[in-house]
Amino acid sequence: MTDWTLEGLAAAIRAGKISPVEATQACLARIERLDGDLRAFITVDHAGALETARRLEAESRRSAWRGPLHGVPLAFKDLCFIRGLPTSCGTRTAEYFLAEQDCTVVARLAAAGAVTLGKLNMTELAMGPFGDNAHHGHAQNPWRAGHCTGGSSSGSAVAVAAGLALGAVGSDTGGSIRLPAAACGIVGLKPTYGRVSRAGAMPLSWSNDHVGPMARTVRDCALLLQGMAGPDPLDATSSREPVPDYMAALGRNVAGLRVGVAENFFFQGVHAEMEAAVRKAADVIARLGARVVELHVPDPQTMSDVTNIVSRSEASTIHARLLRERPHEIQPVVRSRLELGMQIPAYDYLQALRLRARLTRAFIALVFAEVDVLVAPVIPEPAPPLAHATEGPAHELVARQGRFSRLTRPFNGLGLPALSVPCGFSSAGLPLAFQIVGRPFDEPTVLRVGDAYQQATDWHTRRPPLD
Amino acid sequence: MDESRPQQAEVAALLGVIERMAADLALAEEPARFIAALEAGRPPAGGEAGGG
Repeated sequence: MTDWTLEGLAAAIRAGKISPVEATQACLARIERLDGDLRAFITVDHAGALETARRLEAESRRSAWRGPLHGVPLAFKDLCFIRGLPTSCGTRTAEYFLAEQDCTVVARLAAAGAVTLGKLNMTELAMGPFGDNAHHGHAQNPWRAGHCTGGSSSGSAVAVAAGLALGAVGSDTGGSIRLPAAACGIVGLKPTYGRVSRAGAMPLSWSNDHVGPMARTVRDCALLLQGMAGPDPLDATSSREPVPDYMAALGRNVAGLRVGVAENFFFQGVHAEMEAAVRKAADVIARLGARVVELHVPDPQTMSDVTNIVSRSEASTIHARLLRERPHEIQPVVRSRLELGMQIPAYDYLQALRLRARLTRAFIALVFAEVDVLVAPVIPEPAPPLAHATEGPAHELVARQGRFSRLTRPFNGLGLPALSVPCGFSSAGLPLAFQIVGRPFDEPTVLRVGDAYQQATDWHTRRPPLD
Repeated sequence: MDESRPQQAEVAALLGVIERMAADLALAEEPARFIAALEAGRPPAGGEAGGG
């Protein structure tokens, strides 16, 4: 069962082929067997998950279906508040943040019938693209032990790739959904800014945080997004834009769609195998009938720098108390990034926010006059060895982190929907991936292109060598 | 090694973009126009992009 898609499991539960308790027990058994090595979870809610599953099973016996995810086991990045469970946000203190209520995304997915398996490992304070965590153990890449998982939603990607959970929720401030999705060979969607409520998810940057789904297939991500998206009175930045039917957009062909391959910036210094796989993915989409063109996009590095100024300033403000009162508890590289944020003057922070508005307007006008979606690499190289992420002085690590997340960060500042999709494996057996970026609130087109690609390829059906 | 020196250099490098780009920002430009840009940039009639 843990090899099924989320959509397949939901259908099987509806058809009475498997019960919510059986599905939950299968995931818990797999977690028990594999997570000692993988380190995907910080907290496993064994009792709570089974209690919820039993309740859902009783409801299903009388055909009282909560929603499309009835009985499906999911797990959440450990920055999502869940009543009754500790939230560490990847810090040393396991119960660092105490929640009186569930975060909006957890509440919405539970209302759709999901079972919560537990809370997932992450980079400390969601600051770092490699997935290392000295406090809770470095999450391990299921495809190759000793290699990075990508971060910061490391546990979310590992849990899905290893079949410990059929879907997961992550957050993305500079690439933290897409980077681990790419490194672990699963699908991850950073929705449009404001599309999914951030309420009850521990912030890193109010202006750049995005909460989104992670799963093995684009269809499963669409199903999860359907349950998560929409306005929320608890999040002032959530959008009132109507939520479309994401599943309805899938399965339609992509003939005539204009797809741009961003030729400047995104392939500079990118590993040869990664570049080849991304260009081959664009060729597959072209063979499906899309018009693929090369495109020069407005300088992404400028937007990346602007995004960085905003994120650093806001992160330092959010975690000022931790930095002031318990600096010894924070890993040196994370502390270094927080300290840097303290040195950014209000003048520069506000100018960055103003620049962001102008750059976003220009990018949308120029790029989406020419194409409907962009494709580009997600990570510049296959997942590097973990030692790469943890060795050297803090300033070198910060620079290395910046290089690894340079292809994703611009789209956080731009607020555009971006979907990471697996597109092959390196000669060392590590996943390769590309991202599909669309107009604001055009998740239907982004998902449609990703789904069409997955229907034409089989990378998403491969499984890591764990069994 | 003194960690503050590389950090100062990184701050300076990071803020260079403001020096280069912010001088000609229009007086009317303000942070909230980012949300306006997203709303204005959504696909026509709230639907998805063409093709297929």
